[in-house]
Amino acid sequence: MADQALAAQSAFSELKPVQSAALSIEVRDGLTIASIAAGKGKAADVRAVMQKAFGIDLPDRPLRVEGGGISVIWHGPDQWLAIAPRGAGDRDLESELAALLDGIAAVTDQSDGRAVVRLSGSCVRDVLAKGVPVDLHASAFASNGVAITHASHIGIVLWQIDETPTFEIALFRSFADSFAHWLAHASVEFTAG
Amino acid sequence: MPFQRHRMPVGGLIDRSRKIRFAFDGVNYAGYAGDTLASALLANGVKLTGRSFKYHRPRGIMSAGSEEPNALVELRTGAYREANTKATTIEIFEGLKASSQNRWPSLAFDVMAINSLLSPVFVAGFYYKTFMWPAALWEKLYEPLIRRAAGLGRASAQSDPDTYEKATAFCDVLVIGGGPAGLSAALQAGRSGARVLLADENATLGGRAIDDGADIDGLPAAQWVSSAITELASLKNVRVFKRTTVFGAYDGGTFGAVERVSDHLAKAPTGQPRQRLWHVVAKQSIVAAGATERPIVFANNDRPGVMLAGAVRTYINRYGVRPGQRAVVFANNDYAASTVASLNKAGVDVVALVDSRETPSEGVRAILNARGTRLISSAVISSVSGKLRVKGVTVRTADGRTETLACDLVAMSGGWTPNIQLTTHLGGKPVWLDAIGSFVPGKLPPGMSAAGAASGAMGLRDALESGLASGSAAARAAGFTPAASVVPRVENDSSAFAPLWRVDGGRGKAFVDMQNDVAVGDIELANREGFRSVEHLKRYTTLGMATDQGRTANVNALAIMAGLTGKPIPETGMTMARPPYTPVAIGAFAGHHRGKAFKATRRPPSYAWSKEQGAVFVETGLWLRPGFFPRAGETDWLQTVTREVNTVRNAVGVCDVSTLGKIDVQGRDAAAFLDKLYMNGMKSLAIGRARYGCMLREDGMLMDDGTVARLGENHYVVTTTTANAVKVSQHMELCQQWLWPELDVQMISATEQWAQYAVAGPKSRGLLQRVADPAFDISDAAFPYMQSGVISVLGGIKARLFRLSFSGERAYEIAVPARFGDALIRRLMEAGKDLGVCAYGTEALGVMRIEKGHISGPELNGTTTPHDVGLSGMVSTKKDFIGRVLGGRPGLIDPDRPALVGLRPVDRTERLRSGAHFLGRHASATAGNDEGHMTSVAYSPSLGHWIGLGLLKRGPQRTGEIVRAYDPVRSGDTLVEVVAPCFIDTAGERLRG
Repeated sequence: MADQALAAQSAFSELKPVQSAALSIEVRDGLTIASIAAGKGKAADVRAVMQKAFGIDLPDRPLRVEGGGISVIWHGPDQWLAIAPRGAGDRDLESELAALLDGIAAVTDQSDGRAVVRLSGSCVRDVLAKGVPVDLHASAFASNGVAITHASHIGIVLWQIDETPTFEIALFRSFADSFAHWLAHASVEFTAG
Repeated sequence: MPFQRHRMPVGGLIDRSRKIRFAFDGVNYAGYAGDTLASALLANGVKLTGRSFKYHRPRGIMSAGSEEPNALVELRTGAYREANTKATTIEIFEGLKASSQNRWPSLAFDVMAINSLLSPVFVAGFYYKTFMWPAALWEKLYEPLIRRAAGLGRASAQSDPDTYEKATAFCDVLVIGGGPAGLSAALQAGRSGARVLLADENATLGGRAIDDGADIDGLPAAQWVSSAITELASLKNVRVFKRTTVFGAYDGGTFGAVERVSDHLAKAPTGQPRQRLWHVVAKQSIVAAGATERPIVFANNDRPGVMLAGAVRTYINRYGVRPGQRAVVFANNDYAASTVASLNKAGVDVVALVDSRETPSEGVRAILNARGTRLISSAVISSVSGKLRVKGVTVRTADGRTETLACDLVAMSGGWTPNIQLTTHLGGKPVWLDAIGSFVPGKLPPGMSAAGAASGAMGLRDALESGLASGSAAARAAGFTPAASVVPRVENDSSAFAPLWRVDGGRGKAFVDMQNDVAVGDIELANREGFRSVEHLKRYTTLGMATDQGRTANVNALAIMAGLTGKPIPETGMTMARPPYTPVAIGAFAGHHRGKAFKATRRPPSYAWSKEQGAVFVETGLWLRPGFFPRAGETDWLQTVTREVNTVRNAVGVCDVSTLGKIDVQGRDAAAFLDKLYMNGMKSLAIGRARYGCMLREDGMLMDDGTVARLGENHYVVTTTTANAVKVSQHMELCQQWLWPELDVQMISATEQWAQYAVAGPKSRGLLQRVADPAFDISDAAFPYMQSGVISVLGGIKARLFRLSFSGERAYEIAVPARFGDALIRRLMEAGKDLGVCAYGTEALGVMRIEKGHISGPELNGTTTPHDVGLSGMVSTKKDFIGRVLGGRPGLIDPDRPALVGLRPVDRTERLRSGAHFLGRHASATAGNDEGHMTSVAYSPSLGHWIGLGLLKRGPQRTGEIVRAYDPVRSGDTLVEVVAPCFIDTAGERLRG
């Protein structure tokens, strides 16, 4: 166990949480994230192992799947991000998956490299429209859709969780405060007053 | 001043129960909610609104829309002041303050009106001609004179206090324009279920259906418009954007639009921007942007009170304002019928209809007969009298007789020009249509159609029909099934027209482009001087180059030039427009990206701690890195940096190096892959070891340097410089995907995953032992120079340790997951207190690497080879790698090339400057004698004097020679001695411990 005196620091030092039916914004700290990239010619083996271990079919399109205590985000051809709460047991997907996928996939820890924020509520699409140039309308974006895009010129991976709608956005950690600044600007019309 | 004495008692869309007070040129007026500044001024009898660009002629309100060339005002005050806003598009709000432009001391008496008398100086091409006069006079005389005399409004010159934002909208069908055609199209497409976005630049929808006061389905058109709006609002798949101008059409069905969210309000509501810039992505688009009426070109056609006939109808029918008391209508087309009808309705006395045609159609004559209004056919207005406002007109009939008529309003119509701008933004060439005397859209971009007047369907019934048809077609093309459409019952007004491009022989200037003060005489001059093609005409006369892009001027100008050259109009040229359709505030394009948010900022893991320490930050790309950490009592940066360097050299220092790129490379062929990328061998690197490496570009130049550490059999971590992290990633991806797809290699950025600190100095190991878990042996025997490994720190936190040195001291880099980066720097500082630890920034880092002769950005400048920087010994001869072949070109291995040396001033007290050029000791300062330049300099605390690195012709062979470091920019001329680039610990004993 880690020395409790060494405190983890959130990537977001300036993000103000928001909580309303129209819009809620919540930082998702405490996640363990690992990237998976199948070895050459090993994608089928990786799918089989993941199906057996977690009961999930790895997506071959920009979609998100969930099962067996993890969710998996498509992250490129034969590449995925696996995500789970670190939890009380200090779960570490890098070591867990590296053991499962030894010799057939590259597994790399991304838990700290990505900052994740969750946005939910009836106005979320209007907020995201101010920075994300992707059509997130229900008729155009699957309720488990994934997009690798940008928010206000900051590279992001975005995925939809449910039809509330709820989205999560992962971005490189060092951009967190700039992202929060943009998000505050984009959401002010729904949070002001 | 009598209150709104020109307001009609009933009629229009204004709300007479809501009085709005405003001021123009310091005089207080009142209008009603729903008024524009122009309609409210006209209601108050104000006709003079500004002075013209070059000649300072008095000008009034000519139009009722965004095509207005004359009634430009400065809006608001202080930092909020905005120049060149059109009175015809500004909605009044309580407390609005506007003022006229380009006049001094007052609007009615303007000193610069003397420019009118100087008009021979200001004719077409005057700007260019001044270049041919004595050049010495240009900067001192002509330019200041012209700039002061000619002009429009003044910028506030302060930072824009408003906020703006940008957004993207997607739709199946974008409908541009909410007049009868656009409303029909939006309804028809919306009913099919398609996602429709309807944008209209005005505050209210309806367009000319309301302006012309027509009936639809037996009811006033305003009622049809109102029920259309209600139905659109009920459709969830339809979004209506009022006050939104689609200003540009771009590739792939994308459009730019600006929504004026708060311009009609005294102050933007909380949370709302002033304007929002929309990037619209549409599968299908319908341009239903209407048409713009053309003025007729006759003498003094710019006098206040000479208005477009359609605008006269708009002021009466939309705003309930009488633009005059006694009107003369002058037209070459049948819309005169509705003009006369509207004037009659408003109770304006119609003195006569002056029609250039022999016989206006039946409908026109019927309206005239009903009131006994006089028709003067085959006649023109040859000039206007009155200066600050119209007092009368001179009418000339075909047989040459003239007659003077007293009036205070001229309603002119030279026909209508379809608003085809958006259809030409992507290069679509318009087609000339004789029947309307104008261009209509030709080949349209994919997915675009045109409807209503914009397509040349000029009648109301035609507009409704074409709107419905376009709406159906667009919905179908987007995958929906529209129902059959029902065309409302409506009369088609006659659009019969006969060209009249100019009236000759009047006394006074006859203007073609009012905003840029281009008169018919300027076009004649351009023709005489050979500037006949439409592009030359435009540039020579500046016609069409004002803020209105000549919307009321271009077709008239083209036709006049065609008349002068005897060529048909389509052969003379075409009016092609570029975005934006109307001016867009720069602030709208910037949106959120202004000030500190202009670019995103990247903060390293130690950012918060460094800030607490009072660090001075430097920008490295997007990263904010601590440059140095001043302490109390230190008076300048050099003192601080010297202290930091000395601490590292004598004790221990810590530097955040997390910003260096880290790329995780795995796979069975990872070693082979890296071997092809780096110029030096990587295959032999053992597990647990690290190696310095350089990558070349394909052309043989150095691209980047860094280290490669082997963590496992098939697992490496590669570092890059901070500046090149993304570039190297892209390069590696490209190589893997395109050059060697057969290799089994996977890579991903891990830059942000790790907080990485350089711990450097003789006491660095001692400090690290206080944080590393005891299970890990980091003694020199177990962890020698260039060792790497996975360890844990502070009771089980996973970490990576590398024994690398940039400073030349014993040094390590310790990496922990980034969330612990803040805690680790605090812990290192705490744990190292008794060792004398300090944090050091990029400045001290730079000083120490120069003392060691390590290359960095200034030497890796894209023009240097491995040989140039003294690394030829590293270049492998046993393998192929990127850059090998082209790096062997004769020019790149020429021994005469400037190569890396160290330099020190002969007089040790002298300061060196990077950028200084090397000259032989006795050579003169000419480019021919140039022998290279100083790339990096630093004050060396270790040596007590300035030192430098430089690229000197055959440098390494010239050790001991004295050369000039010549820096004319900063008056530097220093004698320097050529030495080896490494200044301290040349044997490298310190870093091995």
